[in-house]
Amino acid sequence: MIFEPTALSADEEKLRDEVRGFLAETLPPDFRPGLGLGGRHDPEFTRTLAQRGWVGMSIPTRYGGAGASTVRRFVVIEELLAAGAPIAAHWIAERQSAPAFLRFGTEEQREWFLPRIAAGECWFSLGMSEPDAGSDLASVRTTATPVEGGWRASGTKVWTTNAHLNHFAAMLCRTTPQAEAGDRHAGLSQLIVDLADEDVHVSPIPLIDGEEHVNEVVLDGVFVPDERVLGEVGQGWAQVTAELAHERSGPDRYLSILGLYRAFVDVYGRDPDDARAAAIGRIGAQLWTIRQLSLAVARSLDQGEAPAVEASLVKDIGTTFEQQVVEALRDAAGGEIDPDGPTMFDRLLAECVLNAPTWTLRGGTTEVLRGIAAKALTKGS
Amino acid sequence: MTATNDLAEVRDAVADLLTDRVTPEILEAAERDGWAATVWEPLHAGGFTTVGVPEAAGGAGGSVAEACSVLEAAGAAAAPVPLAETGLLAGRLLAAAGLPLPDGPLTTGTGAVTLTGGALSGQLARVAWASAATRIAVLADGPDGAVVALVDPTTTRIAPGHNLAGEPRESVDLDGVVPEAIASVPPDTRELLARRGALARAALIAGAARRVLEVTVTYTGERVQFGRPVSRFPAVADHLVRIAEQTEMAAMAARSAAVGAGEGEPDALDVAAAAAVASEAAGLVAAAAHQATGAMGVTREFALGVLTRRLWSWRDEWGGERAWATDLGRTLAAGGPDALWPTLSRGVRTGT
Repeated sequence: MIFEPTALSADEEKLRDEVRGFLAETLPPDFRPGLGLGGRHDPEFTRTLAQRGWVGMSIPTRYGGAGASTVRRFVVIEELLAAGAPIAAHWIAERQSAPAFLRFGTEEQREWFLPRIAAGECWFSLGMSEPDAGSDLASVRTTATPVEGGWRASGTKVWTTNAHLNHFAAMLCRTTPQAEAGDRHAGLSQLIVDLADEDVHVSPIPLIDGEEHVNEVVLDGVFVPDERVLGEVGQGWAQVTAELAHERSGPDRYLSILGLYRAFVDVYGRDPDDARAAAIGRIGAQLWTIRQLSLAVARSLDQGEAPAVEASLVKDIGTTFEQQVVEALRDAAGGEIDPDGPTMFDRLLAECVLNAPTWTLRGGTTEVLRGIAAKALTKGS
Repeated sequence: MTATNDLAEVRDAVADLLTDRVTPEILEAAERDGWAATVWEPLHAGGFTTVGVPEAAGGAGGSVAEACSVLEAAGAAAAPVPLAETGLLAGRLLAAAGLPLPDGPLTTGTGAVTLTGGALSGQLARVAWASAATRIAVLADGPDGAVVALVDPTTTRIAPGHNLAGEPRESVDLDGVVPEAIASVPPDTRELLARRGALARAALIAGAARRVLEVTVTYTGERVQFGRPVSRFPAVADHLVRIAEQTEMAAMAARSAAVGAGEGEPDALDVAAAAAVASEAAGLVAAAAHQATGAMGVTREFALGVLTRRLWSWRDEWGGERAWATDLGRTLAAGGPDALWPTLSRGVRTGT
């Protein structure tokens, strides 16, 4: 384990002050915070942020990014998530797609995509899950067959967040039939699909909160040119697992509840009784600690380590914590949940209760994460 | 910030020294006799009993973080000696008072004690190793404010008592006792002692929890049922992961608060957070480990009990998770909603 306390440097603290100042003057006083990475899709906000150099920060300067360290990016996204800022437009492009292009992309892809991502003008969705491929991602059925100059992809992807708004998705497809590939993890590839293509059909999947930001995406023989294959044909499995491992432990895993927590203190924090004080304190203590764990992972990434197991642990700790917070604050507040209630706390609590189940599902379920961690813990036995 | 490499070296040095010295026989004897000379003496000879007490005051020197590194290793080994009490607690208390550091094990405790006309009155409850200590550092209210009084335990009346791990936790009646030395201390001394007490317990818990993880992983990897090691069953593996998570939580909390003290005293908010997290983790770790190790885990002969009995005790000493969470919650609430995030994201600071 690599978890050692790490402090922010003076430079990193300065960056944090800049981000806080920016948010204070940009977000309106009555701003309703989004739930962490569930923040709203706001192209204008994303472009403004990009002008400051805070989108795609880890993209090298020669591709239009800031060439920043993992910790500097951590500092920025942590403040954005804490404020519940509307980050959804660039979130996946900057967290997942840009690093994938850097690691696996061709020079042409890097030169085309990365400056656009860093400018906040090129937005991505994830194209992994399917009706019959959730935690068992290797069982994807979307198939791409070789044609003159590229591939034709057909199949159905689900839970594709903001596919109706974003420009592209890296779709995990089977490019070699499993019978030929042998190993079920072989023969998969990532194809960059243009979501505006006429052979791509996006339709919403309404969730229990009534929101329609998650979609079904049907690929109806869409043509993907060879130069839009991400990385190597047949290496899709290794690529997506590397993506998932590195992006698991960020502040998005424990800050979904910060707006709710702040609203609770606002409404119930004046001279709290013992039960409410204990709830505020317990959440604060856990948050303070989990943040140090997450920061330690970021710091170790900058030092060239690959803390995949630690990242899984932090995600599990963080998302489990988030769900506990919702229940603890509901209990401490008392009364019925009123989605149209008079306070920000009322409204955020209703939103959190309906959204909390997804927190321990997305990006690897609790069960999958614990499986990964257990394998590492019991290695050799 | 103290380099984390140095802290790891201190932990490793103490762990090496304690290897093979804290045996089941030694632990049984310590529970019976209230003392373990063969554990204390090498630690004392190695200079590890007064880490965190300035050299100028007669200690081994070193920061609060280094003292906590010693305690993590001691917690992992279940060392049945007053390491926290001698260095971080009584030792630093005497140093703050400018009193000389007596040789041998020291202790201190909490309770309402007053000093009038050169004699003490009052009681200390649940004092760790009061009988075994060469001296007790007593924090008392004197006519002109807080004082530290150095007391020879043989001049007091001690009533026996223990915690769940069989470690001495004794009542000390100080009525009429004349201290060997008295010195005045600043008014915040009591609060600082309480903070160090809670932080010391968090560090011990972090160490013991890590050892519980090792013991439990090993056992569930060897115990075969239905034809395979039980750790291969997801429901059992789940316990192991939760033990690992809570161990890292306790360790990160304790280390962050310790490192944040720099060359000074630990911060109030850091300690409250560390104590709340570590005390809660102690119970979760113990419960999961016992579930995973089954009937073997609850036997006297198995290595788990000496650790879980300590976790169940240490989590409430110097305040349990609810007490510290309530304290922290009041502080955070008083700061108001806008200060909440800036306060909690302050992180590890470099010195006070």
